[in-house]
Amino acid sequence: MPYLPTSQAYLEQSAQLLQAYPDTVSTPPAPPIPTSHAIFHTASPTAGNNETANPDSKSNTRIVTKYNFPTNRRGNLKQAHKSQVRKDAAKPTDAPSTTPAPPSAATATLTLKTFNPTTGICLHYRTNKAQEVGRLITSLGKLAAGADVAGLGLSAAVPAAGADVEMTDAPAPAPAEEVAAPVAGKAQGQGQGQSAKGKKKGGKGKR
Amino acid sequence: MAPHLGQDEFFKSLGELLSKTSQQVQGSVYLTQKPLIDVPGATTANSQPSILIRATDGNTNTPNLKKEGKDKVAKKSQKIKLSTIVKPDEIEAFYVRYAEVCKAGMTGLKKRDRRGRKAKTKGGAAKVTKA
Repeated sequence: MPYLPTSQAYLEQSAQLLQAYPDTVSTPPAPPIPTSHAIFHTASPTAGNNETANPDSKSNTRIVTKYNFPTNRRGNLKQAHKSQVRKDAAKPTDAPSTTPAPPSAATATLTLKTFNPTTGICLHYRTNKAQEVGRLITSLGKLAAGADVAGLGLSAAVPAAGADVEMTDAPAPAPAEEVAAPVAGKAQGQGQGQSAKGKKKGGKGKR
Repeated sequence: MAPHLGQDEFFKSLGELLSKTSQQVQGSVYLTQKPLIDVPGATTANSQPSILIRATDGNTNTPNLKKEGKDKVAKKSQKIKLSTIVKPDEIEAFYVRYAEVCKAGMTGLKKRDRRGRKAKTKGGAAKVTKA
């Protein structure tokens, strides 16, 4: 199964999966051997019987969160190097000179996987952003508590997530603008405070 | 299998495991959660099952057959296995702490790039002082 593009998609689909295949709490198929001697058993052996029967009937969806660092086996390193080269090739010439630092610090990845054994449905999400950990784990808690898609409270967070994505794309121009505006304001403000204020307000409105 | 831990103990061990992994800049931590169905002795009438939380370091205790013959591989450390059971009414409180422990432990992830934000606050500060 492919990795889902956003954490929201992952969580929503996981919630749907959990809803579609709720964990059958007390409705497993009847004990497999209802033979005569089972009747004579007391309470505890039947409980044992239940237990042995359960691994088959247990269809509980499990969610695995894996936190791992990239291994430094040769194959993996080669692969990483290759992809890096490809990335550099895709970028125009200035890329190699600006990115010598990253390889020194290996960043971990967090991989979330929701797996339903009966259907074989498996949902993945992978991230390496520390800021997502808290939200993801609390959402997993909501999933564990049996929240539905609406209960996750994610639909309201959609615009925020969108803004985050945009930010990564364009961090350079935004600060430049913001730095430039106050500087310009200062330069003018020394002479005429009033006009500078007006200018700043205009800038605020635009944003 | 080791018995289930209490929550405090679980969090303590999990924090250690995560920070150890982060410090070594190598290895994995697997956290699994799944509903615990048909616990012997538990009432199945509950609408919500308890949640079983497991944490392991992914080491395997079974010997590697390929390497066994060479005999020069140091003995692998034992697999770390932690588990705890969360009752349905404790889930919320548990996950708050769980998220905290994970956030604190998973330091190997990429930090948020705050350069843009800093510039913003600087601009804001300048405005405040001016006004």
